[in-house]
Amino acid sequence: MSEAVISVRDLHKNFGSVEVLKGIFLDAHEGEVVSILGASGSGKSTMLRCINMLETPSAGEIRVSGEVIALRRGRDGSMRPADHRQVERIRSRVAMVFQNFNLWSHRTVLENVIEAPVYVQKRKRAECVEEALELLAKVGIAEKRDQYPAHLSGGQQQRAAIARALAMHPDVMLFDEPTSALDPELVGEVLRVMQGLAAEGRTMLVVTHEMGFARNVSDRVVFLHRGVIDMQGKPEDVFGAAGSQRFRKFISG
Amino acid sequence: MDFRFFADTLLRLSGGIPLTLLLALISCAIGAVLALCLAAMRLSKIGPLAFLAHAYVFVYRGTPLLVQIFLVYYGFGQFPLVRHSFLWPILREPFWCAIIALSMNTGAYASEIIRGGILSVPHGQVEAARACGMSRLTQFRRIVMPLAIRQALPAYGTEIILMVKATSLASVITLMEITGIAAEIISETYRVIEVFVIAGALYLAINFILTRIVQIVERWLTPYKRGRSVLPPAASVDAGEIA
Repeated sequence: MSEAVISVRDLHKNFGSVEVLKGIFLDAHEGEVVSILGASGSGKSTMLRCINMLETPSAGEIRVSGEVIALRRGRDGSMRPADHRQVERIRSRVAMVFQNFNLWSHRTVLENVIEAPVYVQKRKRAECVEEALELLAKVGIAEKRDQYPAHLSGGQQQRAAIARALAMHPDVMLFDEPTSALDPELVGEVLRVMQGLAAEGRTMLVVTHEMGFARNVSDRVVFLHRGVIDMQGKPEDVFGAAGSQRFRKFISG
Repeated sequence: MDFRFFADTLLRLSGGIPLTLLLALISCAIGAVLALCLAAMRLSKIGPLAFLAHAYVFVYRGTPLLVQIFLVYYGFGQFPLVRHSFLWPILREPFWCAIIALSMNTGAYASEIIRGGILSVPHGQVEAARACGMSRLTQFRRIVMPLAIRQALPAYGTEIILMVKATSLASVITLMEITGIAAEIISETYRVIEVFVIAGALYLAINFILTRIVQIVERWLTPYKRGRSVLPPAASVDAGEIA
């Protein structure tokens, strides 16, 4: 098998005395689409947010493209990144798409897309603009380039956010419930874009409640239950007869 | 109506406009820098710094500006140390005393306005900046500050107007700005009403222009708050199809 782009080893995360993640082991290989399912509170978003250090793990190891994120213990006993530069460098290779889009409201769609390439990766503006226009066309909102996020529908905002993530040329993309904040009729347009990305062979970790996407688009399904991986495998296995009792109960709602 | 007197008074009072504007401009500029530092201290996680900023704001907001002006003007001269220091040429000038008192006062108010602006920045937008690998400085420069300024601008505009009016207090330490000149004319003519009406009208005119400038800046900075459609574009297309 190809080299793991993301490798999570024995990841633990506490919020105060509450242990949210209790030892997660997860690999995502190049070109793989991994769907992460689980009830709310099962720790799936927290796990995703640990990968790009939006949450700092309490224990364990996270490796991105072979590079271990260095952590150290602070004076108060909690873990923190040892080197901010390293975290910033790794974040620029791990793009994230949020549930609430989180586009920068004071910048136009185009400015949102070129922001990080220009100000983080320090690439030439003209080159970034050219590429951004291609990306916006790809997600189907080329004509919205000069609009502000507030003027877009939820589906359009999320597609703009995906274009913003793609502009970084990420090694891996993290999706944190990308369709959960959308009106039902807008979910499809976002899922179609994500399906396109999966078909291109991008490495994606997707926390989602969209069973259709998990079943039909992903290469692997991971089911989290109370901070541990209850089961994982090919979608046909997890959704099929081999699926755990708990998972069947989860999907039957 | 004595139009001759009106015209003369208007002309003489107008002579005070440059000093009024200069006082307001310089103290707003110094005050803004001070406010930024105070807001940063207040929001920092370093206890003593936050406490210091908090105490400063408490004292300067809680005491009258007039008292502060008197304290600066008469207070510093009491100390031989100050009188013999290199700062004395500045501190003995009423102009600079007024600037110091006004700046320190507006610094306290403006720091709270800026702090409010920074706290109002949506967490998700900051998180998006972090997630794409921005350094803390870049996050602040590109995302937090621009959003905070936009949020704080209406309140800051009010603070600038308050400052223009506060400059009138500088007349009590001999500065001949609009109010100082007005008091002088009144002591010559005893025509209190006319003179103060004209002086008031001058302040009103200045602040009218200032309000307009703030409005223009606000419109320029927040184009996304204009003409926001209630319906998302897709919905209006659907409505068209049904019709």
